[in-house]
Amino acid sequence: MGAFLSFFTWNLLSSSIRLTTPILLAALAAALCNKAGVLNLAIEGEMLLGAFVAIVVSYLVRKYTGMGRAHAVFATSVGVAASLGFGMLLGWFMASIHSRYHSDLVIFSIAFNMLSSEITVYIMRSVFHQNGTWTDPSLVQLPAIGEYNIIVYLSWILTVVLIIVFHKTVFGRHLKAVGEAPEAAASVGISVKRVHYVALIAGGMLACLGGAFLSVGHLILFTRDMSSGRGWLGNAAALFGFNNPGGTFLASLFFGFADAVALRLQNVTKIPPYIIQLMPYVLTLVILSVVSFRAKKKRSKNALY
Amino acid sequence: MNKQQNRLMNVLVPVTALVLGVFVASLLIAMTEVSPFKAFGVLVSGAFGCSGKVWPLCITLGQSTPLIMTGLAAMFAFRAGIFCIAQESQYVFGAIVAAWLGVTLHWPSFLLVPFIMLCSMVVGALAAEIPAVLKVKLGVNEIISSIMINNIATLVLEYLVAFPLRADSGQKAQSAVLPQSLWLPQFIKGSRWGVSFVIALICVVVAYIVLWKTSYGYELRMAGQAPLFARYGGIDADQVVLNAMAVSGALAGLAGCMEVLGNYHRIMTGFSSGLGFDGLSVAMLGLSSPIGVFIVAILLAGIRQGAQLGLQINLKIPRELGGVLIALIILFISLQNIYTPLLKKFVSTSSLKE
Amino acid sequence: MADTICFQDISRYYASTNVQANDHVSFSIGSGEIHAICGENGAGKTTLMRILFGLERPDSGTILLDGEAVSLTSPADSIAHGIGMVHQHFMLVPSFSVTENIMLGNEKAKKGFLQKKDERAFVQKLSETFHLPIDAGAIVETLPVGLLQRVEILKMLARNVRIIILDEPTAVLTPQEVGPFLETLKELARSGHTILFISHKLQEVLSVADKITVMRQGKVIGTKLRSETDMEDLAMMMVGRKVVLHVDKKLACPKGNILEADHLSAVNVNGTKLLDDVSFRIRSGEIYGIAGVTGNGQDTLVSCISGLVKPASGEVRLEGASMTKESVRARRHRGMAHVPEDRIAMGLNMQSSVEENILMGYETQEPYCKKGFLHMGQVQSLTEELIKSYSIAGASCDSPVSMLSGGNMQKVVLGRELAGNPKLLIVNQPTRGLDVGSIEFVHKMIIAERDRGVAVLLISVELEEILSLSDRVGVLFSGRLQGELEGDAINEKNIGLFMVGGHV
Repeated sequence: MGAFLSFFTWNLLSSSIRLTTPILLAALAAALCNKAGVLNLAIEGEMLLGAFVAIVVSYLVRKYTGMGRAHAVFATSVGVAASLGFGMLLGWFMASIHSRYHSDLVIFSIAFNMLSSEITVYIMRSVFHQNGTWTDPSLVQLPAIGEYNIIVYLSWILTVVLIIVFHKTVFGRHLKAVGEAPEAAASVGISVKRVHYVALIAGGMLACLGGAFLSVGHLILFTRDMSSGRGWLGNAAALFGFNNPGGTFLASLFFGFADAVALRLQNVTKIPPYIIQLMPYVLTLVILSVVSFRAKKKRSKNALY
Repeated sequence: MNKQQNRLMNVLVPVTALVLGVFVASLLIAMTEVSPFKAFGVLVSGAFGCSGKVWPLCITLGQSTPLIMTGLAAMFAFRAGIFCIAQESQYVFGAIVAAWLGVTLHWPSFLLVPFIMLCSMVVGALAAEIPAVLKVKLGVNEIISSIMINNIATLVLEYLVAFPLRADSGQKAQSAVLPQSLWLPQFIKGSRWGVSFVIALICVVVAYIVLWKTSYGYELRMAGQAPLFARYGGIDADQVVLNAMAVSGALAGLAGCMEVLGNYHRIMTGFSSGLGFDGLSVAMLGLSSPIGVFIVAILLAGIRQGAQLGLQINLKIPRELGGVLIALIILFISLQNIYTPLLKKFVSTSSLKE
Repeated sequence: MADTICFQDISRYYASTNVQANDHVSFSIGSGEIHAICGENGAGKTTLMRILFGLERPDSGTILLDGEAVSLTSPADSIAHGIGMVHQHFMLVPSFSVTENIMLGNEKAKKGFLQKKDERAFVQKLSETFHLPIDAGAIVETLPVGLLQRVEILKMLARNVRIIILDEPTAVLTPQEVGPFLETLKELARSGHTILFISHKLQEVLSVADKITVMRQGKVIGTKLRSETDMEDLAMMMVGRKVVLHVDKKLACPKGNILEADHLSAVNVNGTKLLDDVSFRIRSGEIYGIAGVTGNGQDTLVSCISGLVKPASGEVRLEGASMTKESVRARRHRGMAHVPEDRIAMGLNMQSSVEENILMGYETQEPYCKKGFLHMGQVQSLTEELIKSYSIAGASCDSPVSMLSGGNMQKVVLGRELAGNPKLLIVNQPTRGLDVGSIEFVHKMIIAERDRGVAVLLISVELEEILSLSDRVGVLFSGRLQGELEGDAINEKNIGLFMVGGHV
């Protein structure tokens, strides 16, 4: 019994929170885009690129800064900022091809994710001559408060911000309207295009921030396919939380906890972690099925459909 | 635009995407101070061999086998009008079945091999029905359910090779090696090119016949292209989707089985890595036609192979460039709405007659 | 005092369909008036209202509001001028509350933050002022259609419109909801609003409108005060004209019953009857025309008979044997052929070739299919034969069907449907969008089939077509068969009266 309880140490909680952060940021991005009626399947790739841009820019800036710690933090801040800017650009690009050219964002996302995975490793190897893992001792993370990096706190603040935006602002109402009934929204003069742009741009920034956390948030390193499915977990968490920031937060926490438990299991016992890692995906499928079933029943009794 | 011009347009789009992809890839190659022309030359010879060296071509053909099969699988799904991208899960389940039955059953090989293939196909079909039924009966988005089930399948495989099926207690998580009697012969040992390629080729031919020469194939194509028209004509579009997905899953499951029987002879951690969305890329680039799938699968395998053998080993250019090139081509395909108006203008002014 | 709205010489021509939708339309509407605009399909009423609501611009002519000429460039523009429109298809967000829907795009907010209490109070007040009771917090997807319409009206009133346009407002209401709705219109007029509504249901029009304008083929036929007219008069104005089409046809010699529709009823999700106890029969060798303004149940009727939809109750029999539970495929095998209303979306696969389109419905039958394998040679000979005998210009076996003109596309559909020697032929708006030559051809084919002994169910909103082809006529109104006509009784006066809900 004691051994069982000792499993649930304080460490587990803190590693849960740390593991939740990238998932949460990806999930918030997914929730925002889903709510607006745009399916953003490129979050995994955005996250990976965000991680890469953050570490590369930090590294490059670091080469030109002084020795002090403040300079190091400055370099990393620039890296993270660059990552955010990159996310903004990606989001803007996706919104443009979607609105102006009616390109299929699904096929684009598949290609984009593939490209992110390959091109990051390619550049890492060809330009920086690193194989496998890339790290640099001169780089430091952004400052931490207590145990957690500020990006962790930032993710919580952003959750609250999104909750407020969704439920209490005009934009939030417009966002929901555009996602659920774009014709109705257009008929009262709301620009569906503008809402899509905002959602994708903000989504891109959130996803890249999540990526930045991976590469310069807790440890400083970059490896191939660093995002390792966290973008997809984010998508799943958003669906799990019905695309509401509050529900998404809880779902991400749950997924992060599962991840932490799996990790701990791997370190402490011989019990396979994979079954635990399966749970988020299976549960998401179940939730999706239940929700779709309910929606179908509702539709068959409803005057508006 | 007349018929000939239509056909030209259909081919021009992937060709343009290819050209654009090659162009951007060249810029990336330039980052390594190697001439892009030289690099592409090495890529091609690394893929298909040159002046007497057949070995690269053999490997390419061997690598293309699972791509052909999963490409055909994706093709059937797309043709039926469902954008199901769960081929990886069916591939994995098929492989698991093959690896497990191969070591547990001790029947004579002439019975066991076809039996294993059949089981893999059945399991693949069942796995495919999950996103299919969810879509048809509940309206669940098939892309999302595909991604979920792909992840689930990979994790199940990881679990199985780490514990229940684990063959050695060493570092590597892998299952036991299948008895040699079950191995599908390779034409040139170590090349991965063998009987499985022939089976894939047969599947291509059968797929072509089914799609274009049977009433089943006709109904499938109509239901996928114009569901309202199909319903009006008496076709049950839902049933068509469910049937097509069974075929699709069977093909992908068989692909996994053949990789185990003909190539790796076991399953191990990271078995399906690299397959990812290749099946659907092949189907898309191959314009959802069996011959297109065959050609594109070989091309894609060639690019990867050429990058590995040629670029990386000979020129020290990271092999990821192969993957980058493939991803770029698909990216430009997805952006076709941007340049098709220009292409249309070009084609209309050309003097192609009926 | 200047009229609230004055149309002066409004004209609008659609080049794509070669139709003069509005032809020098001029009439005026006074303040606080309930003004009905009546006409058949294609009269130009919807186009005129779309122009008034800024969704379209006229080619020529002016609109005067309170005596001043205005140019209405968008719905927002029209709303700014005090003109609101309640569409036939509701523009509401299902999961939002009544308040949220009414205030969408018109929110009460401070620096971007919603003032939900203020909004609720505002909607409450609006509802009370105009005597339109509604639960401000109710979620819209739980409300019945009548209340949904009320929400749409409140949406317009919240934007301070003085003029409200409604397009066929009672089309979606249950009979019980119609009364309260008409009361609402009267109430709105009493409070100073000007109401413009399009309707072909003359009983309702006559019970509530002050003035009625009748349009026909883009022109205004006349504007009358309610006291000066009655249903017959209005119906005649709507449909009366010289019948231009003349088709040569012998007298029909109908034989036994082929199709029997028996007490067919179909219900919408919210209880509106799409089909209300419809019964009729069609014999071999006769053309039964179903007339009526669009939206009175024609599409549902076709879907029930062709098998695309199951009726809520009633039976469909082909040659005496029940067909009600059978699939589309089974009905086709029994001898049913169907030329649908929308040849592009339903009748053809635009991405495919002519021969593949011709194969549809026959792909599992000999000689085109043997043991699952297609014999494309047979398909090709059939295709070539049809191309020749129907003179389908620009077509060859493997040419894309999308390249054909409308008339030739219809020939492909017709050729395919008739190739199986059907016993029952359903044709729904068979000549919509076709040129004169193609119209003639299609009519000739329909008569030829009838002479061969086929039972033809013709559904058309074109009165001329019904008059010139039909041996017997049934008129659909609000989902029921308002009346049946035979022989000499088939004339525009009688059909017109039935079409608007009257009785002969």
